[in-house]
Amino acid sequence: MSSDESFLQDVLAALHRVGLEAIVVGTVAGVLNGAPVMTQDLDLLLRDTPKNREKIGKLSAALQIAAPVEVSELSRSITLLGGALPIDILFDALPGGLTFEALRSRSSRVQIGDSAATVAALGDVIASKEAAGRPKDLAQLPILRETQRVRGALKDGR
Amino acid sequence: MDRRAEAERLRVAVLEARQRVAPLVPDIDPGDLLLILQSLLRPIGTGRRFFLRRRDSGGYVF
Repeated sequence: MSSDESFLQDVLAALHRVGLEAIVVGTVAGVLNGAPVMTQDLDLLLRDTPKNREKIGKLSAALQIAAPVEVSELSRSITLLGGALPIDILFDALPGGLTFEALRSRSSRVQIGDSAATVAALGDVIASKEAAGRPKDLAQLPILRETQRVRGALKDGR
Repeated sequence: MDRRAEAERLRVAVLEARQRVAPLVPDIDPGDLLLILQSLLRPIGTGRRFFLRRRDSGGYVF
C-alpha cells in the first residue's frame, strides 16, 4: 500500500471512529473511479448539522491535526491542515445543485485496506467540476470524460 | 503475488481490455487509453499514488 492509500485509509478509519458520514468527492473520487488524475487534497462532503460540526473537531483530534479553518468568509467550506495533506470539507451540496442525498444515492463503496469509502459516481464528479468551472477543474475534464467513456465501453464490450 | 508477477498480470489485463475497447472509442488517443485502462484495472491498495505534495522549494513530489 502506498503512502497515499495509507493516508486515505487512516482518514476513513478516523471518520468511522467518530461516526461521521462522508462522501469522497472531487478528484480523489475520480481516482477511486479509475481516472488517472492527481490532486493536492482530499475533498469530503458532509451534511451540515451541529452534531457533525462537533464530530469534525473530534476528527481533527483523531487524526492529530489542527482544528478546522474556514476557507473564506464567502464559503461554508472548511479545511483541516497540518496532516500529510489538506482535507477540505464541504457541506450539503456540490456546485451544480448536487445534494448530499443525490450524490449518496449514486455513490459506490470502495474498499481501501481495512476501511471502506463512500465515493461519488464519476458522472457526478464530472458534473460538479463542470459547474465549478475553475481552471483546475476544467483542465481535468477531458481525461475524466474519457475515463467515463472507457468504463462504458468496457461494460459494453463484455 | 510478487511485484513482477503482479505487473505481468496487469500488463495482460490491460492489453486484453485494449483489444476489446479500442474499436469502441477510436477517437481516444492510444496513449491515453492505455493510461486509463491501467488506472481502471489496477485496484486501489496496490501501491497507487495520486497525491501531489508541494515542496517548500516550489517543486512538486508524489
